[in-house]
Amino acid sequence: MTQNVAENEARKSGKEGMDVYRVEINYRGIFQKRLGYNISHGIVYAAHSEGKTAFSNGRYSDDPQRNGIPCANFAIVSGSLGEEELEAIASAKMDVDEADVVLVLDDTMAKGLEPWGHYGIRPINQKVVEGGTILFVSRRKPAELAKLMERRPFTYRLAVLPGDRSFAGLWYQRDDNTDIRVLAAVARVAPHIVDMESVVRYIRGKFNDEKRVEAAREAYDSVAVSEVSPDDGMVWPYEKPALPAWQDFDEGMAVKSVKRGFKMGPRGQNRNPDFRRGTSRSQRPVIRFDTCIKCTLCWYDCPDECFDPTTDGLFDVNYEYCTGCGRCAQVCPVDDCIVMVDELKFDSNSSPWEDYTVDPEEYVRRMEEIKGLSREVPSPVTGMGERILERKESVPFKPKGGK
Amino acid sequence: MSESNEGGKEFGNAKLYTSVHGIDLEEFYSSGHRTCQGCESALVMRDFIKAAGPRTVVTGATGCMYVANTSYMTTPWVVPWMHTQLGAGGASAVGMAAGLRALMRKGKIRDEKINVINFSGDLGGGDMGLGGISGALNSDYDLLVIIYDNESAANTDIQATNLTPYGAQTTFSPTGSARRIMHTKWKKNVAAMMAVGHPNCRYVATACATWPPMDYMNKVKKALSSGGPTLIHTLDPCPKGWDYHPRYSGELGQLAIKTGIFPLYEIVRGEVRYTYDARKQKRTPVREYIEKQGRFTHFIEEDFELVQARVDEMWNDWEIPGVAPVKGILKLAD
Repeated sequence: MTQNVAENEARKSGKEGMDVYRVEINYRGIFQKRLGYNISHGIVYAAHSEGKTAFSNGRYSDDPQRNGIPCANFAIVSGSLGEEELEAIASAKMDVDEADVVLVLDDTMAKGLEPWGHYGIRPINQKVVEGGTILFVSRRKPAELAKLMERRPFTYRLAVLPGDRSFAGLWYQRDDNTDIRVLAAVARVAPHIVDMESVVRYIRGKFNDEKRVEAAREAYDSVAVSEVSPDDGMVWPYEKPALPAWQDFDEGMAVKSVKRGFKMGPRGQNRNPDFRRGTSRSQRPVIRFDTCIKCTLCWYDCPDECFDPTTDGLFDVNYEYCTGCGRCAQVCPVDDCIVMVDELKFDSNSSPWEDYTVDPEEYVRRMEEIKGLSREVPSPVTGMGERILERKESVPFKPKGGK
Repeated sequence: MSESNEGGKEFGNAKLYTSVHGIDLEEFYSSGHRTCQGCESALVMRDFIKAAGPRTVVTGATGCMYVANTSYMTTPWVVPWMHTQLGAGGASAVGMAAGLRALMRKGKIRDEKINVINFSGDLGGGDMGLGGISGALNSDYDLLVIIYDNESAANTDIQATNLTPYGAQTTFSPTGSARRIMHTKWKKNVAAMMAVGHPNCRYVATACATWPPMDYMNKVKKALSSGGPTLIHTLDPCPKGWDYHPRYSGELGQLAIKTGIFPLYEIVRGEVRYTYDARKQKRTPVREYIEKQGRFTHFIEEDFELVQARVDEMWNDWEIPGVAPVKGILKLAD
């Protein structure tokens, strides 16, 4: 930490030799693994072509990755330091302490990250420095994203590159130009790290395709940059993450098991209190309790044990632990009963069953309003994209239940 | 074999599930684990411990379900659980069972059955750890070994094992322009091999965690009530390694069974009974299963035909269809 502070001081005072810039690339594990690597490699190659020193690295604890879990890569660039000097400062590190540019490839990560147990949920803008930039690939307005992040005591910039989240799998890749579009956006917000000329040179060298250069130029122009002041954002509601040291381990390296405990109703099951999975989620299941036929299949098929049986035979869902895989939506036999909806449309992880029991009709009305009429169904092979199905109308409220 | 009749409610002293509504609601493998979205192996864990109940100790060989269950200093397990080395799944189960037997004999703990369950992946159980599992199955201890098979070394980002199917892409067998198929081996037939070679083994079954509903949980109950070493081999669709959207895990498991690629059966004291008889049902073409996975996107027509022919041979020509080809592999010399 102190080293970085010293570097920043040096940088601000314009001292030669300490121009070390860091880019953090936040992406969804596996789904965007190749995309994240392409971007960090691209930054390194483009910077090299300007005669700068650069290398990239992955955050140590992220591998082996799991589908959906927040992961990060870094690219570290310096104009004046040699390779050995830069490595002495910045290599062999598990994580960067701060970043000049923070890239976010899936905008739902704006709600916080929990990459590994005991780190807790941390804000996406935790690493951004004063005057730095956080860049989202998103269809949202900057103000919507700014209010989800932690309030910081200084001014920084928020940039939005219009685009959808680009998901693929390990083997079948999606070639939708997101990687080069993000590189162009980096050149736009931080020309001192890589400039557009070197990005274009990199694209020509790798693909020899003028259409891709055009796409990059289009992306360069479409980035919307705004300022985030110390008044914007929220007071972070989660506990600050603390990582136990080796002295904190129990004898024999034993890990305490979850205490046995179960009762009917929301949050009645005891769960792992130190590692919640909710930040792995890009979509959440929305449940129409009024049309539910109580078949139990969502609960039976849920690999994260998120469903809490309730006394009226329904199943509440615990959004703190739900990873948004969509198995419940797939297995549910009732038309439009469980639907996967973009996570950013919700602002709370509270129990939906409790909301429903307070006022069923109001709950259904609100959920239908959020869901709208279009339904996103992913193709079996993730990289092949998704189908958008338009419904004619939503299922009307059933006051007496689904049976 | 009255106790293994289809639709039976009891097996030995075990009460079987007859409806999903009768499944216990309490979890002993709770939320907060570091598995992938849509992980089928997590359901293998959750369901075996639900069927076994809280009076159980679990050992797990290294694999993705070990790392997933010990995110730095935390665990989702409610019951005692121990990690062991990649090849030591069988040995750890024997040691655990022997220790419990000795404690009970000496009167240090109550003489009331404690289930011992080991879970090993396809590498830890069916490939490099096979020797240890074989030793455990030929012991006289009361233990259950579950091989959760996601057809790759999934923890270390998908390397091929001997249980990886023909043609699948892994980091060891990436497809290329010069050679399309890099993994040219066929999947090892672990469950049948173990059943044939281990006279002490009381119960062997293959299963898929969520389909048919309750089938796997009932097999766990039957295995635990057998009173000796037992083995269950589960096929776990893996969204990460098979490259499909996590939403479709359940469907792929179902398709593997309906296409006949993964036969479902149980072997009780030498008698084979199909729990889904692919001979009686019209088998779904394997193409429907294969084309839903990114690891097979390089397949062309002849590859589909090759796999289909292999599956047809399994069901039409093997002496015990879907389970074991004896004369196809061994013949008396002239």
